[in-house]
Formats: sequence, structure tokens, C-alpha cells
Amino acid sequence: MRRYFALVNLILAIIVCPLKAFPQSGSDKELLVGANIGNVPWEFQDTNGEFIGFEIDLVNEIAKRLNQNINILNVPFNGLFSAVQSGRIDIAISSIGITEKRLESMSFTQPYYDSDQSLTTVKGNGINSLEDLKGQIVAVDTGSTGDMWATANQKKYGIAEIRRYEGLAPAMLDVAIGRVKGYISDIPALLYYTKDKPNLEVVERIPTGGRYALMMAKNKPLVSEVNAVISLLKEEGFINSLHEKWFGVPAEPSTSTVKIVDMPTANNGNLLNFFDTFLNKQVFLQTYPMLIAGLITTIQLGLLSIISGLVLGLIVSLIRLYAAKPLQAIVKVYIDIFRSIPLLVLLIIIFYALPFIGLNLSPFSAAAVSLSLVSGAYTAEIFRAGIEAIPKGQFEASEALGLGYRHMMGDVILPQAIKIVIPPLTNNCINVIKDTALASVVAMPDLLKQATQAQAVAANPTPLIAAAVIYLMFLLPLVLWVSKLERRYKHQEGSK
Amino acid sequence: MTTLIRLENVNKHYGSFQALKNINLKIEEGEVVCVIGPSGSGKSTMIRCINLLEQYDADGKITVENVPVQKGKDLKYVRAEVGMVFQNFNLFPHLTILQNIMLAPVRVRKMPEKNAETLALGLLGKVGIAEQANKYPAQLSGGQQQRVAIARALAMEPKALLFDEPTSALDPEMVGEVLDVIRKLADTGVTMIVVTHEMGFARQVADRVIFMDSGQIVEQGTPADLFDNPKETRTRNFLKAVLNH
Repeated sequence: MRRYFALVNLILAIIVCPLKAFPQSGSDKELLVGANIGNVPWEFQDTNGEFIGFEIDLVNEIAKRLNQNINILNVPFNGLFSAVQSGRIDIAISSIGITEKRLESMSFTQPYYDSDQSLTTVKGNGINSLEDLKGQIVAVDTGSTGDMWATANQKKYGIAEIRRYEGLAPAMLDVAIGRVKGYISDIPALLYYTKDKPNLEVVERIPTGGRYALMMAKNKPLVSEVNAVISLLKEEGFINSLHEKWFGVPAEPSTSTVKIVDMPTANNGNLLNFFDTFLNKQVFLQTYPMLIAGLITTIQLGLLSIISGLVLGLIVSLIRLYAAKPLQAIVKVYIDIFRSIPLLVLLIIIFYALPFIGLNLSPFSAAAVSLSLVSGAYTAEIFRAGIEAIPKGQFEASEALGLGYRHMMGDVILPQAIKIVIPPLTNNCINVIKDTALASVVAMPDLLKQATQAQAVAANPTPLIAAAVIYLMFLLPLVLWVSKLERRYKHQEGSK
Repeated sequence: MTTLIRLENVNKHYGSFQALKNINLKIEEGEVVCVIGPSGSGKSTMIRCINLLEQYDADGKITVENVPVQKGKDLKYVRAEVGMVFQNFNLFPHLTILQNIMLAPVRVRKMPEKNAETLALGLLGKVGIAEQANKYPAQLSGGQQQRVAIARALAMEPKALLFDEPTSALDPEMVGEVLDVIRKLADTGVTMIVVTHEMGFARQVADRVIFMDSGQIVEQGTPADLFDNPKETRTRNFLKAVLNH
């Protein structure tokens, strides 16, 4: 339950603030590059686990020309922005398009690839153009150019819902399952991906005029150094040779893969200070309706999972304690399995694997089922411990008075057990609410998802900070309440 | 006199250890029986078999008013008719004194709350702590708690009361107040089986005293017979040990 690597973005953004004061590795020997591995053909893994791809080749060459060692880290797409801004990495690659918004808080080298977006579908599913998307659900990558295009054009094409995924693979899996009808993303990646998959098809090019470049922290000297190397590599024809290597054909002479172009500059290109970066009021005001929508989803999911987990847990604990032996054995297996399995793994199995046996759950249902199953297992153990903590004499006194099982549990045992289990139960509730953040991976628009999307769109980590504050605002009181209850309980025990 | 409780050939094993050996015993209606004997002699085990808090071996038989004491739907009836007072009181800590007493009459006897409350207050008066009705068990002294436990057992208006070392967990200065209550009860004609280490109390209150050792009833008789003229060596040795300290 305590695996929150989806929250890594948040933590990252918070922890690195103070580190910014220290010299970062950018000027040292090692060049740190962040890449969203799996983004074919730009950066992905070969069968030996080696990172390969167009952009991997490019940054390796750049590091060589700069006489620096290179270290490539796997960072999810929407985490690249805060990673660069916080100095955690020097350069971000992942077919990142240059946009006006991103230029406000980032620097880009000159572009080396001209791209468009595309719509990819399963052959024969009735979607042959953007017009066919009316009333349908489409997939995008959280905070990507495709996400921005789809959001801007949702009304125009009557798209029913935009589901946001953490990369090509999970999105395409849902397209294949049929849960979403199409995937809007960068055309080169999809042409490459569908090349050897005859059931998939890129049905439309969406002209967005994207230009890919290396992204770096705002106005670092490294930017112009790297930009100069890129000019040199274009002159030598190296970049075009990469194009030929990865796409099979050389690029058109008029494209930025061949031609040396200027470095893009922002219209209001001021160096952003700490507050502009992490506590940007304007960004916050723009994005907080998204965050509130996410918060509502998080609370709905959290409450539903907590309540069904409680009911499930109570029933299971009573079976575990008092039912016939074979039933006890069955629920023990349930408890052990669901306390051992990482929630994220369970969630992915329920969401992506169950459709193959005909059980096709929505992101919300899949998340609620996973959270309830895991919470139920923990709750069962908490209740069991609570009931077992009641002295044997209480059971004997109830029995000696002639109370039946129902009244013994209802009037004597459970009311006492509740007091004991409230603190651990509340802790469990806090964990369930925190774990709702994991539902991001199944394209659920919860608070974290909305925040990561907002920060990628605004190219500014303020929404993540805001989300962290929101999580704190409603979980911190619960945490404090539990501590108070625990103290009071200890006190009562002591006075007996 | 009619026999209220009957034990026939009752044995009890815990694994290979035999806690009760061939117990045969009849308790008449209105009789006050005290059970004495060294620790581990099976006294508590025996009375706990009577309301099936312990399951005795299948070859024996226990009846209360001719109803067999065994698992099943009659068990509730037996337990309602046989009250029990525990060494550690076992009051319900989350309920007030009044609620502790009212719970079983309301739930088991289906008595209206009002009547149960009147009954409870009356019983609290009888055991001398009516003024504590709305307190919680933890706020009372041990002696007071045990008196509440007695009132709780009485609220079911049982035919018989089982006392399992009712004063053993008490501070010495509180033993007297609890024994006084039990003594008064004995005078009202309730059938009682009292497992106790209080020899003076047993001599004074009991119609019959039973001496147990190693899971067996070694000897029984009137207090005068047993305390003044014990026939068995084991009885004599035990009495010598407990009376000469």
C-alpha cells in the first residue's frame, strides 16, 4: 500500500527546491539526460535493455562532442518538466514539442525534427477520420501536444471524453481492447509503432506544426553550447543520417532535420525566480478548476473504496474468526494475497488484463474495485486484531448471560473493538485516499492526474505544489486526529 | 426436594491431561454448596462445565432441570437459568452500571427497557450501590464491581448461581463486603455453587461442602462434618495447610 511512485513527481518537485542552491552537475563532467523510455523510435529499450533510438543517438553524439560522460535516466513524460526545472536533469528528450507556454519557463535548442500529430485506431473499428470521433473516447499522453490539441478541439469534434495515459504502451493497449476508440499522439512514433502491427492504422495526420528540440532549464549556458553542436551535426549531415537510420528515408532538405535554424526564444523571456516557478499565482488561478475537479474524483473514489472496504473487511474478519474451518482458510488466502500484492500491480491486472476474459471495467470502477479489495484485506486484519484484543472474559460473561452470537458481537464485543480499531482504521483510510493517486495509471482523472496534466500543459510545477497542499489540507487533520485518539486511548488504558 | 443440577460421570481432558475425573454430583433446589480444594484441583473447571463455558467429554452428562447441557438451541435456556459470577468480574467496560445489568433481561428475556431499569435499580439497591448506577465500571472499586456483577447475574432471575472464586481478585479490605452480599443471597433460598478459598465463609454459609483434589471429588458433607471430622487424609492435609497460616 505504501508505494506511491506516482507521487514521485510531487516529492521531486518539493525536495529539490533547496538543492537548487548547490552547484548542479550541468557544468561538471557528467551530462544527465531524462527520457521517457518507451517512446519509439526516439528512446526505447532493445532486447538487452540498452537504451536506443533517434534521440538517444543524438544526445550520445552531443555528449561526445562536448567531451562529457552521459547518464540517461528514465523519467515519465510529464515528470520531465519539473526534473529540468529543479536541476535534477540537464537535458530532457522525448520528442518534446516547442510551445509558447513551455518557452516561458524553459529553454529549447533549435529543433531537429518537424512533426505533426496523428490519430491511430484499430483497423475496422469504424473510425476513419477525426470526424468519426463524435461521441467517442480518445486516448492521449498526459500533458503532451496531443493532449493540448485534443483539449482545444474536444468541442469541435464532439469528443465525448479524453483519457490521459502515461505513455504509448498503456494507451495503445486500451485502443486494442476497445475501451478507447483512438489515440492522438506524435505521428513519427505511431508510424514506427504500427509499422509491424497490421491490425493498427494511423488514419489521419493532424497538422499541428510541432517541432522537436532538446529542453533545458531556462537560459543555462549549456543551451547555446548544445545548440552549437546541433548546428555542427546538421552541417555534417549526422542528424539526417539518424533520420535515415530510424525512419528508413532521408529527411526533406527544407525540414529542420537538415536546415540550421535559430534557437527559439520566448516573447517574455525573463528568468523565472523561485516563486514564479513553484508558486506561480497566474498558473495556479488558471489550473485550479482542474485541480478541484480532480479533488472531487479523488474524494469520490476514496470514500467509495473506504466504505466498501470497511463492509468487506468486517464480514471477512468475522468469517476468519468464527466460520467453519474451510471458509476460514479461504478468507485467509484472500487476506494474505491482497495484503502482499502491490496495489499498482493489482490495478493494472484488473484494468488491462480482465478485459481479455470479458470483464471490461471503467477506470473509476477498476480503481474502486482494486482499492476496496486491498483495503478490505487490511481492514479485516485490523478488525480481527481488535476483536482478539477483547479479553476472553467479555465473551464468557456474554455467553453466561445467555446472549446469542448476534447480541454478544453487537452489544458487547464490537462496540469495544471499534474503539481499539479506530486509530488503525483511520490510518488505513488515509492510505486508501493517498493510494487513489495510483489510479492515474489507468487514466483516471484524479487529483494527481489533473495536477500532472496541468503542470505539463503550463510547463510549470505550480499545480503539483498546489496538489500537494490540497492532499495535505485534508489528510493532515486526519493524521492529527488519529494521534490524538491514540494518545487518549493510551491514557484511558493507563487509568484502568 | 427436587434436583436442579445433575452431573453424571463427567470427565474433562485437555489433551492428555485429565482435569476432571468421573464427577458425579446432584445439586438440590435451594441448596448452597461450597467447593474447596487446592489450586488446579478442577473446581473452576467443574462449575464452568455446568453452563458449558468448558466442553466436557462426550461420555459424561450434565442436566439443568433435566435439560441436557450441550451445544444447540437449549443452551441459551440453560445459560439464562444459570447465572455466573467471575473472579475478574467481567463487567462490560463500555456500558454504565445500569446498562450492564439491563442488557441481558432486555436482549434475552425481551423485557421492556422500563421494567429492566426498575429491576436493575432494585438489584443495585440490594447489593448496596444504587448511587453508582450511571457510572462506568472503571470508576468503581473492585468490591463494588463484583457486587454489580452479582446484580447483573441476578437480573436474569436465574434458578442457580455459580460463583467462580468471587473474592480472589479483590483487595483484602473488600472481601467482606462481597461475602456479605453472597451471604444475604444464600438466605433468600437461591441455589448456589460457590468455588472459594474463604473457609470461614464456607463453614458459615454452606449447606454442603465439597473437597476436590486432582480433578476428583474427594469428600463431601456438612461444614461441621468436613471441617471438623474430615475422613480423607488429603482433606485433612489441605485443611491443615489453609487453616494454620
